[in-house]
Amino acid sequence: MSPHLRQAMTASLAGICLWSLGVAAWASESGPLSKTPGPAPVAAQGEIAAPVPSGSQGPTVLPPGGTSVEDLLLQKGTITMDEWIQIRAEQEYSGAESARRIDAIEDWKTRTELLPMLRDKVNFGLNALQFLYSHQDAHVPEGKSQDNFSIRRSELLFWGRISDTLPRWHALMEFQSINFGRETPTGGSGAATGQPIAATFFRESYIDFRPFQSWAPYMNFIRMGIFRMPFGIFTETSGGLRDIISSPYLTSVGSGNGNRTGSAGSIDFLQERDFFVDVRGKLFNRLEYVAGIMNNNNFHANATGANAPKSFYTRVRLFGSDVSWISFTTIQGESNNANTNINGRGKGAFDRYGLDFRYTSKIIPGFMVQGEWWQGHDGSNQTTVGRPANGACLDQSICGGSGAPGAQRRTWYVLAKYLISDGLFQNWEPTVMYEQFDPSTSMSNDLYTRTILGLTYYFENFPPKVQSKIQFNYEFRHHQGNGPGVAYDTTFDAFAQNAFLVQFQIRFM
Amino acid sequence: MTRHCGSVILVIGLALAACGPTQIFPGAMMDGVETNFDFTAWRTVPNAQTDRKVQLGGRIVQSNREQGAHVIIVTQLPIVEQPAYGPKDIGRRSGEFAVVYPGALDPKWLAPGHRLVVIGTTGQAKAVMVDDVQRSLPSLTARCVHIWRTAGREISDFPHNAGGGYEPLEEETHCAS
Repeated sequence: MSPHLRQAMTASLAGICLWSLGVAAWASESGPLSKTPGPAPVAAQGEIAAPVPSGSQGPTVLPPGGTSVEDLLLQKGTITMDEWIQIRAEQEYSGAESARRIDAIEDWKTRTELLPMLRDKVNFGLNALQFLYSHQDAHVPEGKSQDNFSIRRSELLFWGRISDTLPRWHALMEFQSINFGRETPTGGSGAATGQPIAATFFRESYIDFRPFQSWAPYMNFIRMGIFRMPFGIFTETSGGLRDIISSPYLTSVGSGNGNRTGSAGSIDFLQERDFFVDVRGKLFNRLEYVAGIMNNNNFHANATGANAPKSFYTRVRLFGSDVSWISFTTIQGESNNANTNINGRGKGAFDRYGLDFRYTSKIIPGFMVQGEWWQGHDGSNQTTVGRPANGACLDQSICGGSGAPGAQRRTWYVLAKYLISDGLFQNWEPTVMYEQFDPSTSMSNDLYTRTILGLTYYFENFPPKVQSKIQFNYEFRHHQGNGPGVAYDTTFDAFAQNAFLVQFQIRFM
Repeated sequence: MTRHCGSVILVIGLALAACGPTQIFPGAMMDGVETNFDFTAWRTVPNAQTDRKVQLGGRIVQSNREQGAHVIIVTQLPIVEQPAYGPKDIGRRSGEFAVVYPGALDPKWLAPGHRLVVIGTTGQAKAVMVDDVQRSLPSLTARCVHIWRTAGREISDFPHNAGGGYEPLEEETHCAS
């Protein structure tokens, strides 16, 4: 293309563009005039002349601004144009003021919506604040009382949801007291008791991670941290939602030091919390599963750092309805009695098998019954925390001899409750529970049994987030002894004497 | 070898069945139901799309009892499959609609915040009072409703609740006779 031809074409195109702009500008100026004949909309100024309609002046002229009340009044001659203008001016002034306020509110809303608290990223609540009165029939040493007041739990909870990939973070703090844990000395047989160690404030801390959104809910998420064991029902029920005041025997039972029969002393059959990594999901919309690995040394190990033993665990839960189920749980692995924070696990192979069920009636609303049955074998040389042991018993005069076989333990309970939802006794809930713990199935004369009669009144009951209540429990306790041929006195044994407990609780989040 | 093949096929079959879509309403009730109904268009011009069998999900705002039927005001939410089947709040504001359920329901299922999926037939816009304000909302007459008692939370938050414990989510399907 020659330079002359290119210049001519450029000039032509520029001309067309200028002509188009000119036409558009002319159209935009002339357009409104042709579409909106009559006076322009009246603003606050009153100097614009406008026809003043009058009832006696021929046909009615439509006033400007549509058909609002003042327009009709003007149309009917009730108000003058000056008054109409004044009304309109005030309206516009107040409208501008409203717009300004709305803008300010919108601005504030935009700012506050960024707060993590309002985006579900950070939340906090009161998991449970419990004031407990207890009376026990068992005798107590001089200087202690059979009647006690205490703060049972003072737990603050923090949690949030970062995204669909990180659907939950969670931290539970216990402010009731800083417990002191004890560990089993690994050597030095002269040390009869363990070294006191301050536990941490936190009870639970975990992160949920959902790596594949499209796999949920079949493979829903991975949970890692310290949390309530997904074993059975009671262990996984928050302290603020439990139907009875005392913990069941499957968590811990007995007191004092153990012996070689495995029937005596404190026994931690199932610890409530530990370090876990597990995967959770739901199949067929009816079958939930959990499978993971844990330290098997209780959550105190966070302070002591003794994380040697490891166990695999899994639970499958089959739902009969949305709120009724039956589950099977198992734990398989190793236990260790060195640096342990769990009483009576021994050293070696360790297992637990559990069955649990819950039936929540839809025929009788408010009625629920649940039960758990657990059995498991501990490693050999089981010992209580603070007793010298490192595999074998290091001081046989204290622990009763080395080579004690691991005990096979068994426990079960059934609990039923009925929430009265109307009438004079509305919000009252009677509860009954029976449980049994056999420290060693091969030994006689060592059975623990307990029957609990309870009555709960709910001030607020919107579980799982809100539950304020007062609970009255009477416990009929019985303990046969510490095995055959072992001298035993029930006088000071709290597990052999009845107890009465009253607990006032607030839970709000 | 044949036994191994059979086992593999069984496992694959079970896995496929386990991961299949969730069905909350009886199959017969779902015949002819539009599961991808355009709520926005319906909300804009409610009376233009009457007598259509649709499925919608949302969150209960309030409910009233009127002439033997429950009128449930629902904020529309999209129904998702992941992470849990049901209406999910995705953060965007959507509109409300009215569900007329011609039957009896226990009030515990109608508390504000519960999630709901409904199948029913669209009707004329209905005048209702929402928070003491008279509004005209698109309405449908329900054949079946499925309600999750979430009380404002997401369905996927259950059963592992905020307290760190285990709380199964109550859910039920109700069909008008």
